[in-house]
Amino acid sequence: MIISRRAALLGAAAVSLCKPALAQDAAWPSQPQHVFVGFPAGSSPDLLARIVTEPLAAKLGQPIVIENKPGAGGVIGIQQMLNAKDRDNTFATTINGPLTTAPRLTPNLGYDVAKDIAPVVLIATSPLVLVVAADFPADDLAGFIAAAGKEPEALSYGSVGKGSGAHLTAELFSDRAGVEMLHIPFTSYAEVTTAIIGHEIDSGFMAPSAAMQYVKAGKLKILGITSQKPFAQAPGVPVMAGQAGLPADFRAELWNAFIAPAGTDAGVIATLNSDINAILADEAVQKRLLDMGWQAAGGTPEELQQRIADDTKIWGAVLDRIDAKN
Amino acid sequence: MSGWEGFLHGLSVAVQPDVLIYCVFGVVLGTFVGVLPGIGAMATISLLLPITYYLSPEAALVMLAGVYYGSQYGGAVASILLRLPGTPQSAVTTLDGYPLAQQGRAGVALFTSMISSFFGSFIGIFVLILLSGVLASAATAFGAADYAAMMILGLVAASTIGAKHPAKGLAMVVLGLILGCVGTDVNSGVQRFTFGQTELMDGVNLVALAMGLFGVAEVIANIHVAERTGVPPRVALRDLLPSRAELRRIPFPALRGASLGSFFGALPGTGSTISSFLAYAAERRISRHPERFGNGAIEGVAGPEAANNAAAISAFVPTLALGIPGDPIMALMLGALVIHGVQPGPLMLEARPDMFWGLIASFGIGNLLLLILNLPLIGIWVSMLRIPFRWLYPAILIFVCLGVYSVRGSSFDIFAVALIGAIGYALSLARFNPALLLLGFVLGPLIETNLRRALLISRGDAMVFLQRPIAAAFVIATGLLIVMALVQTIRRKSRGAQEAA
Repeated sequence: MIISRRAALLGAAAVSLCKPALAQDAAWPSQPQHVFVGFPAGSSPDLLARIVTEPLAAKLGQPIVIENKPGAGGVIGIQQMLNAKDRDNTFATTINGPLTTAPRLTPNLGYDVAKDIAPVVLIATSPLVLVVAADFPADDLAGFIAAAGKEPEALSYGSVGKGSGAHLTAELFSDRAGVEMLHIPFTSYAEVTTAIIGHEIDSGFMAPSAAMQYVKAGKLKILGITSQKPFAQAPGVPVMAGQAGLPADFRAELWNAFIAPAGTDAGVIATLNSDINAILADEAVQKRLLDMGWQAAGGTPEELQQRIADDTKIWGAVLDRIDAKN
Repeated sequence: MSGWEGFLHGLSVAVQPDVLIYCVFGVVLGTFVGVLPGIGAMATISLLLPITYYLSPEAALVMLAGVYYGSQYGGAVASILLRLPGTPQSAVTTLDGYPLAQQGRAGVALFTSMISSFFGSFIGIFVLILLSGVLASAATAFGAADYAAMMILGLVAASTIGAKHPAKGLAMVVLGLILGCVGTDVNSGVQRFTFGQTELMDGVNLVALAMGLFGVAEVIANIHVAERTGVPPRVALRDLLPSRAELRRIPFPALRGASLGSFFGALPGTGSTISSFLAYAAERRISRHPERFGNGAIEGVAGPEAANNAAAISAFVPTLALGIPGDPIMALMLGALVIHGVQPGPLMLEARPDMFWGLIASFGIGNLLLLILNLPLIGIWVSMLRIPFRWLYPAILIFVCLGVYSVRGSSFDIFAVALIGAIGYALSLARFNPALLLLGFVLGPLIETNLRRALLISRGDAMVFLQRPIAAAFVIATGLLIVMALVQTIRRKSRGAQEAA
């Protein structure tokens, strides 16, 4: 899973009021809609897609079929949406990676984000937390950075693979904190937590939902969160930005967005945007998302477009730094 | 709550009518999808996922779990009758189950597999009740070095399976290891042998490989007999049941298999695959007549089937008690729980004892149901062999394509299965054993990542494999196994030389 930086601060409720004037064919949607998800059924991006498309289907009056096309970090889902060549009836939800870092990390990507993708709306964001074992000697971020700074690679961290959100966030953190940590790639957050609990590795960045229950069980502790504001699902966890020598604008977030193939009717995109904004304003939906570690977002297609551009730049710079190191 | 109290409490949950009904539904459905080649628990559970929104979390989990272990019973049917394993675990069952079927003893093989599966499951449940706490901590005690050493032991032990032609067996393992290299390297992100195909970034599809090597290859091999019009004679009920001598060969292999399965199943990752291969290798080694293996040895069916069913039960320990899913199906099950707001993990046993113990109790009920359901079905399954090949084989190919497609909805995988099938046919002509290829393929990437991870963590110090007690034990066991094999070979050679002199 991959990451992004900025929290969408827009109140989804406010946005949903600005329902754009619809200039579209009144007959749409006249058939079942397809939403591609680049992750397997039951995975976090899949569950998120289901939470949003269930009420969306009710609003549109047409069933929505979730097409799970897992693989290549979510890239295959987007490729399949584009291959379907059924504009106005096929869409996708995706994490940030395939739209931001994939052009750097995936050869033969098969699509150009700027040219082939029409952003619809940012669905939700998730910050990451810095986690260590419960008996780690330091209790706060300053202590962690001091321990990590003793010598290069004094501390190790786990990620879910090269170029993953956990990897890029840790590299961004090391850069800003002026330390060098040893990267140990794993394939899932569950493996990373197990390795931290088993004292194989020292730390890791992960979604709060992946860490909280181990914190409650007294096996892990959280030293900070990468969002700019405290996060409801991780109460009492201090924000990392501005702490222990980290710059005040430090932030790293995963996100999930609803997208369409370029060339999709503008009216269709406007309808979807306002419907999804309305869904995200529903408190029950917000709670379901939050239970899974996602903060409901919302906003306009243009804001999503900007977010993609910003994050591509930020993570591009981190990737440059990683490439230069090797 | 102690294990037994918990289990009794769980029984009270599992016999609630709504939970019980979904348990029955799950195991029946699981049996049938398990029998269909290629369409396995994974696809079925994905399809059932949206339905679980409308069920209580207990009923949902019990139903999905029923599909999972029910499909293990069904999977053996296709492996034995048609040499069509859907998973690497049931690939081992083809080794002796299919020869038995060809000798007209399909009923005996099926009976053995059902009884052993049942036996394995119950031992798995007992182990779970007694040792749920210990098993859960085993998973965190295992580090990268330990996993690497354990898997190397598994590979070495199992590579004796094709002992008649050791070089051919080795060739298959190595080919499997090479195929396992395809995909994105976790450490560097480099694409290995993907030839620019995005579909290959996550490696070769395991189901496509298993279906191609076994199923499609078998269909091709039988094309020349497809015109056969004669139908095999009806099998009498008497022939379905094993003789007394055969019955006696079931309990001990099943017991050994179940113990291996219960232990290895609790380790996330490859537990159940390793355990069924190890169970087979162990039976072969213990047997006074190892030459019977591969030609229809009852023990060769009983051991692995008990092992993979026991492993299917204990695989729930890391999933529920640690939140670490051992395989994609377990990951899916985890997702189903998350939908219901249940977070599997260290708090689950205390926070949701109803769910944990209810599930365990439902395993007991479900397995009993499976045995009652499956024993009478043996006759029907066997009569499937009486379907003329010209109908049966095209139908199999359709199911294979459906099954492979269902894994991740990729038409690329259908072409892959066709190509792999052709290669599998060539391998079977040359009398290579594809089960070993599958083992190398499954274990290779895991050995590689864990070995590299262990060395990264130790900052390059290889002594980590001897300093960690668990790893050291596996390394020593592997060493002993190799020495034993060498001594045996040298003795046999020198005896041969003496006889010749």
